[in-house]
Order: sequence, then C-alpha cells, then structure tokens
Amino acid sequence: MNTWIGGALVLFFAFCGCGLVLSAVMPGRYPMRVLVVFSAICSALMMIAAGMALASDRTFSAALWRLDALGPLSIRLDMLSAIFLFAAGLVYLPASVFVKNFAESRHQRKYPLSRYGVMHFALMASVVLILTAGDAPLFLISWECMSILCYLLVNYERRRNGDGRAAYIMLAMSEAGFLAVVVAFAIAARMSPDWSFQSLAAATARLSGGAIWGIFVLGFFGFGVKAGLVPVNFWLPRCYTAAPPVFIPVLAGVTLNLGFYGILRLNADIAFPHGVGPGLLALFVGSITALVGILYATTENDMKTMLAHSSIENAGIIVAGIGASLVFRASGYGLAAAIALAAALYHMVNHSVYKTLLFQGAGEIEAATGTRDMDSLGGLARLLPALSVVFLVGCLSIAAIPPFNGFVSEWLTLQSLLRSASLVSPAVKILFAICGAALALTAALAVTCFVKVYAMSFLGIRRGDWKPRAPKRIKRPHFALIYLASACFLLGILPTYVIPVLNRAVGPLAGASATASLVPSFFTATPQNQQLPAAFLHDFHNIGAQVGGAILPGRGMVVLVRGAERNPVIFAMSTFYGFIALAIFGFVTWFIVTRLTRGRRMVRNELWAGGIPRLLPEMSYTATGFSNPVRVVFQAIFRPDIVEDTRQTVAVHFRTAILRRREQTHLVDRLFFHLIGDAITWFATFLARMHHGRLNAYVGYSLVFFVVILFLFRVT
Amino acid sequence: MLVTPSPLSASKRMQIEEIEAAVRDRIGSAGLVSRVDGGVALSIALLDPMALPAISKFLFWESACSFGGMIMEQLRDNSRLSYLFLSPGSGWIDVVLEVPSTSPTVPSISAEVHAADWHEREAEDLFGVRFEGHPRLGDFILHDQVWSEGVAPHRKPQSHSTDADRHSLQHRPNADWRPLLVVQDPGAFAMPVGPVYEGGLGQSVHFLLESVGEDVVRAVPRLFYNFRAVEKIAEGLPVSRALLLAERFAATSSFAHSLAFCLAVERMSGIEIPARAKNLRILLSELERLRHHAGAITAICESTALSVAASQAAIIEERLLRSSCQFTGHRYLFGLNTPGGVRRDFTAKACAELLKVMDRVVSELRTLEQGLYLTSSFLDRLEDVGIVEPNQARDLNFVGPVGRASGQAGDLRRDCPYTGYETCEFQVPHEIEGDGYARLRVLFQEAYESAKLIHHAAKRLEPGAISAPCDPPAHGVALGWAEAPIGAALHWLRLDDSGLVERYRIITASFNNWLGFRVAVEDFAFQDFPIILATFGLSATECDR
Amino acid sequence: MSFWFWRGLKKGVHSTKYPRNPELAAGVTPGRPVATEFRSVEEAALAAEVCPVGAITAEGKSANVDLRLCIHCQRCHFGGAHPAEWQMDYEWATVPGGKTKYERLPRPYGRSLHMIVVDAGDCGACLHEVKQLNNPFYNMHRLGIFFTATPRTADVLLVVGPVTENMRVPLLKTYEAMPGPKRVLAVGACAVFGGIFGESFVSAGGVGSILPVDLEIPGDPPPPLAILHGLLVVTGRKAPVDHDSISNRSA
Repeated sequence: MNTWIGGALVLFFAFCGCGLVLSAVMPGRYPMRVLVVFSAICSALMMIAAGMALASDRTFSAALWRLDALGPLSIRLDMLSAIFLFAAGLVYLPASVFVKNFAESRHQRKYPLSRYGVMHFALMASVVLILTAGDAPLFLISWECMSILCYLLVNYERRRNGDGRAAYIMLAMSEAGFLAVVVAFAIAARMSPDWSFQSLAAATARLSGGAIWGIFVLGFFGFGVKAGLVPVNFWLPRCYTAAPPVFIPVLAGVTLNLGFYGILRLNADIAFPHGVGPGLLALFVGSITALVGILYATTENDMKTMLAHSSIENAGIIVAGIGASLVFRASGYGLAAAIALAAALYHMVNHSVYKTLLFQGAGEIEAATGTRDMDSLGGLARLLPALSVVFLVGCLSIAAIPPFNGFVSEWLTLQSLLRSASLVSPAVKILFAICGAALALTAALAVTCFVKVYAMSFLGIRRGDWKPRAPKRIKRPHFALIYLASACFLLGILPTYVIPVLNRAVGPLAGASATASLVPSFFTATPQNQQLPAAFLHDFHNIGAQVGGAILPGRGMVVLVRGAERNPVIFAMSTFYGFIALAIFGFVTWFIVTRLTRGRRMVRNELWAGGIPRLLPEMSYTATGFSNPVRVVFQAIFRPDIVEDTRQTVAVHFRTAILRRREQTHLVDRLFFHLIGDAITWFATFLARMHHGRLNAYVGYSLVFFVVILFLFRVT
Repeated sequence: MLVTPSPLSASKRMQIEEIEAAVRDRIGSAGLVSRVDGGVALSIALLDPMALPAISKFLFWESACSFGGMIMEQLRDNSRLSYLFLSPGSGWIDVVLEVPSTSPTVPSISAEVHAADWHEREAEDLFGVRFEGHPRLGDFILHDQVWSEGVAPHRKPQSHSTDADRHSLQHRPNADWRPLLVVQDPGAFAMPVGPVYEGGLGQSVHFLLESVGEDVVRAVPRLFYNFRAVEKIAEGLPVSRALLLAERFAATSSFAHSLAFCLAVERMSGIEIPARAKNLRILLSELERLRHHAGAITAICESTALSVAASQAAIIEERLLRSSCQFTGHRYLFGLNTPGGVRRDFTAKACAELLKVMDRVVSELRTLEQGLYLTSSFLDRLEDVGIVEPNQARDLNFVGPVGRASGQAGDLRRDCPYTGYETCEFQVPHEIEGDGYARLRVLFQEAYESAKLIHHAAKRLEPGAISAPCDPPAHGVALGWAEAPIGAALHWLRLDDSGLVERYRIITASFNNWLGFRVAVEDFAFQDFPIILATFGLSATECDR
Repeated sequence: MSFWFWRGLKKGVHSTKYPRNPELAAGVTPGRPVATEFRSVEEAALAAEVCPVGAITAEGKSANVDLRLCIHCQRCHFGGAHPAEWQMDYEWATVPGGKTKYERLPRPYGRSLHMIVVDAGDCGACLHEVKQLNNPFYNMHRLGIFFTATPRTADVLLVVGPVTENMRVPLLKTYEAMPGPKRVLAVGACAVFGGIFGESFVSAGGVGSILPVDLEIPGDPPPPLAILHGLLVVTGRKAPVDHDSISNRSA
C-alpha cells in the first residue's frame, strides 16, 4: 500500500510540475486547458493518495533530502494529514473545472492565464507539501511559499479590483503569524535532537507548563491568522472581497483549512497542553469569532464580503470544537474529546464543500448580473433556475438545515459542548455554558443570514437596474456546482460512513475512539452485540432501530451515548431516516394533491398589492430591511456613526430627500487593527526622531554601535 | 355681500380692532380692511397679490390665528380666493384676493403657513390656479395614474350634465407613473399600504411607508380615492337638495355638517332660530359626538387587539346608534336639520328615556376607562407612541381632539359659539403630551362633556316652535361652521340670482388633520402605524368629499 | 390584566337571535317607506313630490315606493303634510332587476364565508354599518362569516359607495384577484344606483356599471341586520326578497 501512496504522490508532483511548465510556455488558449485538465488530475491524485492512506490506516512516511543545517526533510502522511489532503482535493477538483467559467477571452488579454496557471500549480504543490510535511523546516518553507503565492494570486486582477492594499494586509499578517509560528516551533525544538515532528512530539513531553503555554499562544494565534480567528482576522473580509473569482474558491476552501491543520498539528499533536487553560482559550476565542463573524455577515449586503464573514463564523465553530476537545482531553475525558474533535473535523470538511459552492455560485451571479449587491438583486430564480436550486442547497447546508451536511456537524458540535456537564470545575462549566449559548445564537443568526441571502437574491422581483448577461451559459447547470451540491447532500445523509473515517485521525489526538459511541455497531450490524446489554438493545428494537436493515445501506443513526452502563442515555438523530421520511411524505403529498385537484383549472393572476396599479421594485423588501432588526439589536457592537442629511425645498415642510448615512468600522478593526496600526505609527514616529539629518549624530550612532559590538565580542 | 349686524361682544371687538390696526399698518395701500358680517368679522381685500404671504404670516404666526382654509371661487371675470383665519377671541378673518380668470397666478403661502399646502394643491388640481413658489403641485386629488395633468374639472364653464361633456373629461392614464420617493438611504424601500386595506380603518387610503427596515422614515398619505366632487355636484341645485349632499358626504358627522350648512343659509337669510330648535340642535350634536367618540375608542381598542375592551366599547356604540334611531328615526341622524331649525320634535318622555340611556352609557364608559388605564400592555402601545409635539400641532394646524391632545385648545363651540353654545357651560379638555394616550384621554373627557351638555340641553327645552321659515335669498353668501366630532367644519355658500347654489365650499377637519398625520407616524416602528392611525380617528371620506 | 376576562363574562351575551328569530329591539333599523293608500289623488301626488330622488311615484290614490332609490332622507317620514307609511323591517336584499334567480354559493360556504369590503367612495355610514357586524350585538362570527384582508381568500366582494373614478381600477383588481366561485354584493343606495352623487365625471353611478352585481341591499345606510340578511342570502341560508316587493310594491 505504501508504494501506491508514494506513487500517487510522485505522480502528483510530476503532474504539478508539468502543468506549471506547460502553462508558462504554451501560447493562446492552451494554458486554460492545461490548467483545467492537469489541475483536475492533480486534485484527483490528491484524493486518491489520501483515500489510500485512510483505507490502510497506517502512516506513510518517506525521507527526502537531508540538509545539514535543518536536518532530514521527510514526507509523512498520517491520518490527520490524510483527512485534510482529501478535503483539499475534494475542493480543488471543482475549483479547477470552474476556471473555465471565469476565463473569458476579454480577461485573457489583460490577465493572461499562463501567469495564473504557474501560480496555481505552485500553490497546489505547496499546499500538499504543507499537509504532508513530516518535519518543521519543510513545513515552514512550504508555508511561506503558500503565503507569498496567496498574496500574488489575490493581486492577480489588481488593476480591476482597485489597489492591492487588501492583499498587502494579508501578507503582513501572514508574515507576523509565520514569525510567531517559527518561534513556537523553536521553543518546541529546544530539547529535541532534530526538527522532525516525531522528535518534537517526544521532546515537548518534557517541557514545562509555561513553555507549553507559550507554544500554544504563539501557535494558536500564528496559525489563527490563516484560520481567521478574531483578533488577527481583519485581513480576511478585505481579501476575500478583493480576490478574483477564479481564485476565491481555493482561498476559502483550502487555505483556510491550513490554519486548522497548523493548530491541530502543533497544539493538539506535537505539543498538546496538559492543563485546561489553553483549551478554554481556544474555545472562548472560537465562540467570539463565530459570533462576530455571523453578526457582520447578517448585516452585510455585498455577497462576497458576507461569505467572508460567514467563513470567519465557521472557523470559529471549528476552533471552538477543537478547544472543547483539548479541555476534555486535559480533564481526562477522552471519549468526549474524541467526539468534539470529530465534530470539528467534520465541520471543517463540510465547510470547505459548501463554502466553495457558495463562492462559486456568487461568482456565477456576478457574471450574470454584473453586481454583487444583494439590495439590487432579486428575481434571479427565473433568470438562473439551475443555479437557484444548487445555491439553495448551499444555503441550506450552511444554515445547518437537515438533511444536509451543515446540520450534522453543528449538531454534533453543540452536543459535544453539552458534555461539559461531566466536568468538575464550576468555572469551566460556566465558560462552556456561555460559549455554548454564543454558538447557539450564532446558529440562529446564520439561518437569518442565509434566508436573507437566498430570498433577496433569487426570490422576489428584480430591484436594481442591472441587465442580464451571458444568457446562453445561464440555463445549463455547471458540473462543478452539481458535484459540490451532491457532496453536501451525501455528507449530510451518510454521516455513519464519514465518522469512522474521521475517527482514524481523532483517535491518536484525543486518546479515545469516537466511533463506538457516535455510530454504535448495533445500528449497522445485527443485534447480537456484546458491548451493550440485551434489554437495552431490545428497547431499541421497539423504536424501530433495525427497520430497513436489510434494504437500506448505511442507515444513518448518529447517536450520542452518555456514560452509564445499565441505562445509557441516548440523543439520536438520523438524517438518513429523516431524508427518507421527507421523500416519502413529499411524494405522498404530491400524489394526493395532484389526484385531488385533477381537472381543476389554475388561473394565474398578477400579484395582489392592495389595488395599486403596479408593484414597483422600490416597494419590495430589501436585504437591508430584512437584516435591519439585527443591526438595531446589536447596535452596541456595531457602533455606527449616523450622519443625517435631509434636503428640502422652499420650506422644511417640503422635503426632497432624506438620507441617513451609516458609517461604521468593524469591531476587530476598531479594537485591534487600528490599535496596532496606531501603535506601530507611534513607534515609528518615535524612532523617526533618530532621523534628524545631522551628520554628526549619525557618526555618533555608528560609534556607539561599534563599541557595543566590541563589548559583546569581548564578553563572549 | 349682505351686511347684517351680529351680536359680537365689545371685548371681542377690541381684539379685532388691534388686529385691524396692525394689518392696516402693514398693507398700507395694498388693500382694504373692513369689518363685515356673513359670519366673518374682518375682511381684508388685497389689491396686490404679492402682499399675501406677508399678511398670512403675520396673521398665522404673530397674531396667533389658526388657519381655517382657503375658498376658491370663479366669478364672472375674476377668480376670487379667500383665506380664512380664526382669531381665538375675535372671530373669522378673511383675506380676499381677486385674480383674472384667464391666467390665475397667486403667490403661494405654504412656505410660511404650512397648513395651506393642501388647500393650494386642491385649487390647482380642480381649478387650474398656479401657485408660485409651491414646489409640489399636481397629482393630488386627480391621481396622475388616472387623470392627465391640466384637466381642472371644477373650472367654469365646464359642465358635467351631458355625456359628451363627461367624455371630454376623459383621462389618459399614465402607465409610467412612479410615486415620489424621498428616502435615499441604500436599501430603503417603500411599503405600499392600501387603498384596499382592511386593517381597522377600512376606508380607501394609500400609504407608501418609506423605511430602511425598522422605523418608518416617511409616510405621506395619498387620499382622494373617495373624491365624489360634492362641491361641483352642488352647483345649480336648490338649497334643499344641497342639504342632502351636506348630510351625506361624511355620514358619521352628518348632523354637524348639515348644521353648518343650515347655519350658513340662516345667516344669509338673517333669521332668528327659535330657542327650542337651538337646544335640540345642541342635544343632537352632542349625541352625535358621543356616539362618534365611542366608535373612536372602539377602534383604538381593536387596533391594539384588546378584544374584550373593544367589544365593550362596541356595545356602547351600538346602544347609542339604537338610541339615535329610536329617538330620531335614523341611526346616523339623517334628515333632522333644515334651514330654520329642526324637522322633528321630541316628547318629554322620549327625552327622559334618552337621558336614562345617556346615564347608563356614561357609567359604562367610566368603567371601561378605568379598566383601560389599568391595562399596562394596552397603555404601552399608546404612551409615547405617535407623538405630535405642541409646536408641530400649531405649525400644521391640527384641529379637533387630535389638536387638543397636543395643546391646541381651540374649539369652535367656545371660540365662535353657534346655535346657543354661548349659554352652555362646558369644559374643553386638552392635554399636552400629544401621544396616543393623550388622544384617548381627550376622547373620554369629551364624551363625558357631551353627556353633560345633553342633560343641560334637555333640561332647558321650553315648549315652542322647532323651526322658523327660511327663504334663502338671491345672491346670498355666508359662512357656516360647526364643531364636528373630528374637528372644525366650515361650509361656505354662495347663491346665484335664482337662489340656487353657485358655489359650495366645504372645509373639513379631516382635510386639515390628514396633512399633519405624517409627523405622528414618522420615526416610529412599522407595527405602531395601525395604532397611530386608530388614535387619530380620521375619516378619509370626510377629507375627500 | 385578567380582570378583562371576568368583565367579559359579566357583561354577558348580547347577540341577537336573528336569523333564528326576528330581532324586535328598538333602533335596529330605520325602517323603510312602503306603498301607501291616500285619500285623494292630490295627496298622493303631494306625497310623491316630497321625495327628492323620485323613489315615490303616485299612481292614482296610491303612492308606490322603490326602495332601491330611497336615500333615507326621512322627508316622507315626518315633517311633511302627507307622510308615507313606514315599516320597521330589515330584510331588503334583492337580486338586481333583470335577473330572475340568484345562484347561491355551494354548500360549504354556508358555514364559512369570507368577505372583503371595498370602500369605493362611500360616505362612511354604510362602511360603519358593515363594521358593526362584528360587534357583540350582531356577532357575524357565530354565523361563520369573516372579514379578510386580501381578496385571494375572499368569497364575497362587498362594495360600498358609488365607485369613484380613482377607485375604479383598485376595485376591478380586487375582483380579478378573487378566485371563483365569488359573488358581488352592492350595499347601500350609492352602490346600487349612485345615491345622491349619481353619475358624474368622478362617479360611476353604482357598482353595476363596473362589475356584475349578484345582490343589492338598498338603504342609506342599510342597518347591520339588512347586511346580515344579505350575507345569509349569499350563502343560501335565506332567500332573497322578491324584487317586486322592494321596487314598486303594489297594494
């Protein structure tokens, strides 16, 4: 098996390299075909390699070169890496195919795809290297390459999207995060012979609590930059809005996950904390991130920016799950830790899939209408019927509506937070309760947000002045979108197949296996099960747990079993059964209704609007109006400045225009970005006092410096 | 114009003299000031139209007069505009302007006297007068969706008696018509309400509530869906027939409007009404007011969905309707007023029965009132909601219970008494807060005062005639007024040489109050809109005529 | 707050027994003039002259009354030398002239009727009487009759007013927005023939010139019991009054 995996990886790098060279060299329209085909093959290979690794349940490792200064470089594909690699491949496939839609000929002249292709393949290679790196130097070098390539790719259409400030902020934050991560690795490597992950893991066991805290904080916030956590994520909305539509599915679906991978690798695998403190910090930061993200997403009207904030929200949920898992593990509840971590990993996979779907859908909307402003959209369901169905699937998934995938992972996350009842310390329990409430509020706001997105864009009547473009392409649904929507659906109704796969990564990290309690075998096998008492199993038969055992393949019962031997308490939810029931009821209802109304004539009449002659677009509800209650309720967080501007003619009595402009700065900007910016400016101004232009002083500086150096050398 | 001496008391004349002197100073040779009658105490005939805005501003703001209305007439060669102001101790002041009929152009006074806004728009729509300086003419009574501009159907010599004439007034509907939307915030929308709208009012009114989501930012009503051109139909009719129109254009205040009409005819005939008729008129006016206020209270309770209280108020109202029918033969008091008096007499027994019903109604109202003031969920919807500040009420010239709830304590029964009110003792309740709760309190207090007045009038009924013979004179012109339940109602009547109606002008309280209604609704939440509408108790059909 | 519940109970039931038993309370109806026999032809002619809309016509010694045209001005009731006879009834709903039979709504609507009220220029009295149907005395809910706010769920279109020009399009839109089966009810003298406003450049002179009217209820305004009777006729629980007995009743 190992050879197959190795072979797949080698093939992957080969194709990547070929693709890179070919797209740089070939003229005309060839680069696009190269891009699509080679990239698709590469992503398929990623999935194959990861799939084989997961199937074999063994770690694959291969040594690469040996560098004198940095030690041996190696590739190591363990279960955690395999899951992330599979998720990356899952998203890269539709992202590659979708390039065709965005590579219009008009853009080819200004932004040649050859340049994009080169960067695309380089990024793909660096992502795989990050995920399969077996030691710190390879990891860090690939990470840095990935950051720079992301910066270049975000600026790919810089002249169209305005200045490159957003990407520059991203680059600056990435470098700052990278620096923190390097320091974290350095602390971890203090007592280790070389830089490989295995040695590091062994070495950190001997580190003191303070060092572990240091590693945790630096690693968490350093990787948190990429993951989009609250104090350090102010680059994310700006960047996602500025990124070109070709690149943004990759940015949102793949590179975001690298942040989670980094956190898990460094803070859960290599240097896992012994106390509950770090885990609580992660849980708290995650919850705050989720809440802030969804608040700004709900009140945002630009679709891309809204999806960016929603990514922040989902990142928060994932990190909260990770934090909960760390707390449980440090308190000795391995099973609960495993469940929480499984939920977080599931959410990560789900998020990649539906976020890519939504971003690609948003790109299609922008291509078809020319605008991203939800206030002026509306009525797209008639214009883009296929897209409306697929986009609806995406919206339902992200709003955590069964039977789609978002529901399973959010339900599991909230359930795992409920397990905090078994913890001992009351302060910890209170914090869990608060964070659980914040996540529940987030889930509710997410529903509001995506109801607004779908309804205001697709339903209703057209509100803006835009004209539909590219009518030929619109009617046919795109393969990539259907693929992603099907993935959402399948991940939703077949959790029983996904969880055992995730469990392989969860096991070593949490110290326990989640499968047995999340997907007990008595639902997937015959009732002769030794683990649980016969009477208990019998009760389950009474409620029909074995129904359809012969016909239905993986009857998805996702069950959470709580503790006690004799009378285990079960919280059960089956999206699969739910879907079957929904389908049956839907079919029966449709059947009855069509039979009952057969022969009746349906008359279509114009919309009733109170008897006015015509319902104008300005009379229909807007996206701003829909989300205004949220804006008003959470005013303390938004803190807008309202500038009133009322114009009148002749007298105050005759008003011609009323305008109340809202200006607001993002909470994180206000509290962190501007503060950091001001601090740096202050410091720079302080240092600038040195630059007063007097030559004598400069000579004096050199003298002082020289003396200091001499002193230091003398001492050593 | 006939000049008949009227019994104005000496103290009142003093104040008129002050105003007269001040006005003389201001206009100098640009006009003539004289004291006349026909209902009007002081008449200012302007020779220079440009002096109009300054005089109006002086009268409205500096002399603390309220604005009664504007009467537009088309005489043989000229168009005559008459602006009525009411000086609270003195009586009506009439500023008259004549402009040539061929190209009538008048300076607009709406910039200073905001209450004149709709009067000018109506004159422009119906007569084609241009008001210079008014920024928003057109699309008022004759909706632009239905009528093209410039139709001016009231302008003579348009007649409407033949089908050919009617056809010539046919309109070309404008399919591209868009409403004027003022709020320009991004994401602002205008929610349409009506004209077919069941919520509470039931009458045909159209609103476009402009908002960004929570609060209504701008709410300007679009009325005149019930415009039946009563003023035009009345032209050429005998007075007895025009009386039917006066009764029926706003039937929930039918007695008050027919009373104002009859007072105008009686004033121009110069006859004296028998005392019994005056007392009966007071009794019936107050009966109508009491029934109307019971209906308004029912509507307020229904709008806040306090069902039991609404049912109890509805019981009171139905009892009053049945008593009205039992006592006078019609539930809404049709057919009682006639020029010269009333047409039906009432026995002492009937009066006693009526008083018993009144007492029962008053005690039920008091119980209801106490119950309502103890219901905090009900008061929450009314207190500090739909606020009309006193200065806004003054600026926009609110009349009636709505105005009195915002500090405008004017009441025609006390300021220019008619039909014997000068001998009655009664309070005019008023409040200052101007919110829905204040309007509710005013309604209850006025209802109790009405009951007291009914008792008072019934006690003073002396045997005697119930009407005096009245012949409307040729070329008669007079102003009649009455305090209708919603507020001041003015009826201006001019007869031609055969005693038929030449010009009939009706200025109603609803027309005045609908203009200012928007200040109560703006900056309050959407959900409060139906409640504020109910607390105002306005009638679209009274405004539309 | 719960005292409202007890107060409601204490107030008791005020609902009229109509339609099971006739309502005899005073003041429920203004009544209507009926054909009267006079002593001489001159008296009959004088009695007919009093009516400003020509609802009373003299035929020899008797005066016939067309209730459809009556505007309840009461000039033939009191104050004149030769008053007509008045009858205190309230069942006035009739099929418009020309139609012979009223086609009632199917049986299910008998116990659940939803109506939408359109004010097409009404003076306020007819609309007010319609609203009184909801008060504890008449209580139309016990008969299964309801108001709706939208024509999409309405079975009956109840029109008051002579149909002004500005309301013509909204009224037509309301009618078109109603799904079948539907009925149109013209309530009040204005809706029946234009009332005192008649036909003019702003008034269509009654609903009949705009929509097909199924039932007419004359009166100015018809009392709530008359409207209730009309609604019961719509559902078929009562029969419409014979057209001849409303219009030109002969002795």
